[in-house]
Amino acid sequence: MFVLTLSVIFIMLYEIRLTKFTDKLPFLRSIPGLRAIEEAVGRSTEMGKPILFVPGIMDMNEVETVAGVVVLGHVANMTAKYETELDVPVARAIVMQAARQVSKEAYLTQGRPELYNEDMVHYITDDQFAYAAAVNGIMQRDEPAACLYMGKFFAESLLFAETGNSIGAIQIAGTGSQTQIPFFVTACDYTLMGEEFFAASAYLSQEADLIAGITAQDLIKVILVIVILFGTVSRALFDLGLVSFDFITLIGI
Amino acid sequence: MIRNLENLIIKVGDVDRRVIFVLIGLAVLIPLLTPVSLPIRETPTTVKFYEGIEEIPKGSKVLVSFDYGPSTRPEIHPMNVAVLRHMLRNEHKVYISCLWPDGIYMALDALEDISDEFSLKEYEDYVLLGYRPGAEAVIKGLASDLRKVYTVDANGKFIDDIKMMDNVKNLNDFAYIYSGSAGYPGTFEWVKYGGDPTGVRMSSGTTSVQVNEVIPYVRSGQLIGLLAGMPGAAEYEKLVESPGIAIKGMAAQSFAHIVIVVFIIFGNIAFFLKQKKERKYSK
Amino acid sequence: MILKRYIPIAIVAIFGSLTLSAWFIDNETIETFANDDATQFFDIIAAFAVFLGALNLLKLQFIKFIKKQKGWQYSAISIISFFFAFIIGFFIRGAYFVEDKVFFTEEAALESLIIVDISEAQQEQAYKVQENSFKDLSDAKDFAIKQNLITPVDWGAHVQKNGSLFQWMFKYIFSPLSATMFALLAFFVASASFRAFRARNFEASLLLLAGIIIMIGRVPAGSLISSWMVMYLIVLVSGLYIHYLKKKNNVTIIFTLAGFILVTIAGVITGWPIDKPSIFYLPLLQEWIYLVPNAAGSTAILMGIGLGIVVTSLRYIFGLEKSYLGE
Repeated sequence: MFVLTLSVIFIMLYEIRLTKFTDKLPFLRSIPGLRAIEEAVGRSTEMGKPILFVPGIMDMNEVETVAGVVVLGHVANMTAKYETELDVPVARAIVMQAARQVSKEAYLTQGRPELYNEDMVHYITDDQFAYAAAVNGIMQRDEPAACLYMGKFFAESLLFAETGNSIGAIQIAGTGSQTQIPFFVTACDYTLMGEEFFAASAYLSQEADLIAGITAQDLIKVILVIVILFGTVSRALFDLGLVSFDFITLIGI
Repeated sequence: MIRNLENLIIKVGDVDRRVIFVLIGLAVLIPLLTPVSLPIRETPTTVKFYEGIEEIPKGSKVLVSFDYGPSTRPEIHPMNVAVLRHMLRNEHKVYISCLWPDGIYMALDALEDISDEFSLKEYEDYVLLGYRPGAEAVIKGLASDLRKVYTVDANGKFIDDIKMMDNVKNLNDFAYIYSGSAGYPGTFEWVKYGGDPTGVRMSSGTTSVQVNEVIPYVRSGQLIGLLAGMPGAAEYEKLVESPGIAIKGMAAQSFAHIVIVVFIIFGNIAFFLKQKKERKYSK
Repeated sequence: MILKRYIPIAIVAIFGSLTLSAWFIDNETIETFANDDATQFFDIIAAFAVFLGALNLLKLQFIKFIKKQKGWQYSAISIISFFFAFIIGFFIRGAYFVEDKVFFTEEAALESLIIVDISEAQQEQAYKVQENSFKDLSDAKDFAIKQNLITPVDWGAHVQKNGSLFQWMFKYIFSPLSATMFALLAFFVASASFRAFRARNFEASLLLLAGIIIMIGRVPAGSLISSWMVMYLIVLVSGLYIHYLKKKNNVTIIFTLAGFILVTIAGVITGWPIDKPSIFYLPLLQEWIYLVPNAAGSTAILMGIGLGIVVTSLRYIFGLEKSYLGE
């Protein structure tokens, strides 16, 4: 486990170093959900309606929530640029503070501090379904043109997505919650599944270091697939008595 | 006539979702008001769960964790009540903890449901440890030293003053851990920080949606069987021979699923007919 | 700059590395920090941070209420509910025991103990507590309190005690509301499935088929559907597909009839067992889908998500990702 962790770290650092010595950015395939964010912001601006951003229902100790807040920063950059109203109801007080910080910086970066209002990011409640009820109410009353769900979700995901669908909003979801991905895929226009969501920050910022992290991830995945295939074949041959070597036992699984 | 039928089906395909809501509502309500008995077939995961509890030596100490709230009560509560019945029938001493703040109220309700049947006496048959915040920190604490997490029980009584807690230092002193879980914190945290590190046998009951995620743990043996949602609860109620809400609810669930499938089929037929029409007019 | 940028990055790097290394270093202090203290630090911070959130919530709701903005009535309900829960959680015990009966207030508990006794001979009203009689109500109450006939629940336990006011609020207000919101999912799943499950292409058709098999196979109604019925249905659907391809009635009729006859002969020979052939028995098919292709796909997605979390966390620890600071 220690060797594995060190390997992952070294592969990541190696990829980052490699990227520094090349002029060209590593290739990152197009992710439709992320391209659609700008389209969603544009649509909201044209319609004069707000954008609703939901950064999940968990706290900042979840990686998905942090990733969601990072995407919020990029979205806030766009809303500052296009002067679109942004509404971010949150379920945790710490997330409120982090989201406010990120939004404020985005508006300052775009040179539009006068458009920033602290109450854009507002706390509702910690309780899952009370939060879902409040967000649904906001959707029904304010009728945002775009709804973005980026973070960790549980059962309330379908409540958000169906309500958003009923008001005709364009919906983009991103989550690493495996059980909620099917609901978002069914009800939303675009869904960032698992790794695509974690790659959002790299994709939107186009920073070499961050993209290098994604390529490192892909390299580790390729290695894992090779190990799985080799292990499966080795175990099959071992069970058939054709070889006396079992790779899976050797690596301690 | 065929054209009229086609037009009708296309109309069904474009039906307002409120019509679907009404029909689903009726599909659930009618079987609940006029009970319909349907055969319950036990799945291997439920049978394994049942056998796992039967294998516990009589009179052992077991930890039951109520990790759900009122929203998921219809799925998890029946299985937890059935588990408590099974445990008490086998004369085990039950220790109840809660990782969710709502869990304590669920535990109180569950105990109220079965107290007359077993003439339950607190501190003789069970101890209600109560809720502690901290999620996995609570489990890690229980794994190392229970008294670090619980100094008093849910009634405010000191743990050291409870006779049933005398030889209970940490999770290793339990013969079995069960978690009725609706999400976080729940099954995964109990496996990662409770069952796996200590080697204590454990299992769980989860909502149907979570079964997907939890199945790998069942296949690896980290969980001994699994109660999967309300169908799992109904199967388990049948195995412990105490029919309850889960069995009653299965008819409602069956009809609701059938209504959904019928709508999906009609929707697809309407989709194909529409495509056929569009191709015809585009020629 | 140092305060806003470097110190937060340093904190993330130090604590991140410490927590990661705690898995590998066999040192009690570091293990205790990672396993207990770190999570407790977070819980304490989060608990105090709730005040910020609550104040923000109250501020916005009050502004809406005072300025009579759109939806101000809901704000009024929010404010009342907030203070109701706050007061009965922090300031009202809500549970007074008289033997094993629970009362919300001390007054109600006292009233249950005191019996009004009107003596016929003397036409006087007396207040009885157990066997003791008192002329004044206040004397009777004092006696009951002094004799500890009423046991108030301890602070802290008052929110968990069976029969307390807080539990009443939870059971009769919070629980039904929560259950109602969750129940909406049943309706939304139906409308979402109806809208989304269309056989637009091969993958969508596969999804549709798997969805139907799981939905029917998972419930008791599915076990009533014999595998022979499923086989007849497959023959019928195949016949329709042949008709769609060949557009020849003869071919369709011959194919469909042949299929029906074959299935019927097989059924007669085997005696029509409900669950054989097992590949067509919906509950068994549903189990196989759950345990094999579904588990495989879920595990693969889980591995991807796990890797994503690892690399993202390392990006935060190494200070490569600074967006959460606002950069």
